[in-house]
Amino acid sequence: MANLVLLTGCSPGGKKTEGPRTRAEPVVLRLKWLVNVSAAGEIWALKTGIFENQGLKVEIKEGGLEHNAIKDLELGRVQFGVASADQVIRAVEKGAQIVVLAQIFQKNPLKWIYDGSRFHIQLPEDLKGLTVGITYGGNDEAIFRALMAKYGLSKENVRFYAVRQDYTPFWNGDAQLWPVYSNVEGIVLAKKMKEHGRMPMFFDADAFGIHLVANSLITSRRIYDEQPELAQRFTQAVLKGWKQALDAKNERAAADAVHEFDGSVSVELIREQLAATRELVVSGALPIGTIDKAAWRDSEDIMFRQGLIARHVDIAAILK
Amino acid sequence: MNALLSRLFQFGAIYTCFVGLLWLAKYGMGFSDYLIPSPTEFLHAIREDGPNYVIYSLNTLGVAVYGHIIAILLASLIAVIGSLKSTVGAVTRVAAYNLQAYPIVAVSPIIFIFLGDGLASRLLIASLICYFPLLLSLLGIFSQPVEDVEHFFVQTGSINHRLRLTIRLFENLDKLLTVLTGSATLAMVGTIVAEFLAATAGIGHAIRIALYQDNLARILLALLLIGICSSFYLAVIEILGRTFSRALQKG
Repeated sequence: MANLVLLTGCSPGGKKTEGPRTRAEPVVLRLKWLVNVSAAGEIWALKTGIFENQGLKVEIKEGGLEHNAIKDLELGRVQFGVASADQVIRAVEKGAQIVVLAQIFQKNPLKWIYDGSRFHIQLPEDLKGLTVGITYGGNDEAIFRALMAKYGLSKENVRFYAVRQDYTPFWNGDAQLWPVYSNVEGIVLAKKMKEHGRMPMFFDADAFGIHLVANSLITSRRIYDEQPELAQRFTQAVLKGWKQALDAKNERAAADAVHEFDGSVSVELIREQLAATRELVVSGALPIGTIDKAAWRDSEDIMFRQGLIARHVDIAAILK
Repeated sequence: MNALLSRLFQFGAIYTCFVGLLWLAKYGMGFSDYLIPSPTEFLHAIREDGPNYVIYSLNTLGVAVYGHIIAILLASLIAVIGSLKSTVGAVTRVAAYNLQAYPIVAVSPIIFIFLGDGLASRLLIASLICYFPLLLSLLGIFSQPVEDVEHFFVQTGSINHRLRLTIRLFENLDKLLTVLTGSATLAMVGTIVAEFLAATAGIGHAIRIALYQDNLARILLALLLIGICSSFYLAVIEILGRTFSRALQKG
């Protein structure tokens, strides 16, 4: 488990950006998943001294199935976290005191990759007769079931294949569609498919009106109420980090910064991942971090209809 | 029957203490139902998910029993070969110890590539996890001479490898039964690990889904049922072991 701690206020090139405040306030951020390009903004803010300039000494901790930002927030182990709408809504329904400070991904990166040389999916109806990889209990299951309900697809039309950690079933053709984070492993898998003469394509449920909000910046209601200035400073720093990391002129340096923490992926590949991430984070003229309230309501609706929450959640109360 | 009641009582007492402490922490520290489910939510999980979870647990128990049997056969075979003083015996011992050094989580992707994510993988992983303690015990038993008994057969010239192993097994029956009972718990654990990693059935699979959905109430329910199933299986082995031991003594 990698913990990234701000040690200096230097940029990757070694130049100090601005003079830091005298006393930095320690802050811990728990990511939703492992450190990769989906945390490029936070990493950039850490590396270039944006956090430090806001008077923050930030430690970034990786997330995972057992390391949940919401739980850590309630336990007081972290001050900020990254979580998706399904996690936030489920927690709030059970009484967790969480507020959403910013929505980092305007589009959900979760898509299904498939070999376009064999078939092409233009409409959800084209899924009939195919076997689709599903992580039982995961948000991809919620998204796909919502899609099936919306377009009248039944269990007889689409077969499910239980997704596990490796891609062998997809590679062997046991499942024709496989869920991936299109900006991370989607890029890697697409590259491999091309190398083997296949034509990678992505099926995006979001394009067919299934909106389940992904990575968003959260904090506890206690911190939001008692330390609003801290919440504001942190949010500003993260959004500034994202803005700069996705700026074309910083692409190489941003890729280097991510590579420093995720050495398993080459800088060139990270640059491709950054380009894909830009499309998910930047949405038209809207400022980075804008909370899409309609998409949050859609997310809540999907979860309620599928019985993932027992009662409705007051979405407006948690979005700031 | 007493063995079963005793096992169930022991588990019930530990489980009650565990859940009681959780709720003490929850209400003492003001945690939400998201972090630690309330008794009401736990009861709701029992009512809503209980029937399905019972089926999943019985499914897991079934696989664990088969996995345990395979592990016993595997450990016996390797121990018999490993007890030979030849090169084959030495190589077998080294291979058996080395195999155990690899964490099953790392080996599992290879298993899934060749066996898929069905019953065969669950059985193999369950067996691999619980066979090693059995192997260690069997190797220990087979390599420990029972001088008092073996001396007679050595003196009469009728000793051979098979007779030597039979004597040592018979003289260490109580120890073996204890190990068999202990490894039964590991068989349950192994099956659950296999299901958690890849299978689409069993209580391990249900735990994985509950984890994805941050549903601790379902996990508490799964733990309750796993405990009951394990207690039941351990009690059955104990009863069978005692019956077998008595029959041998009478014979």
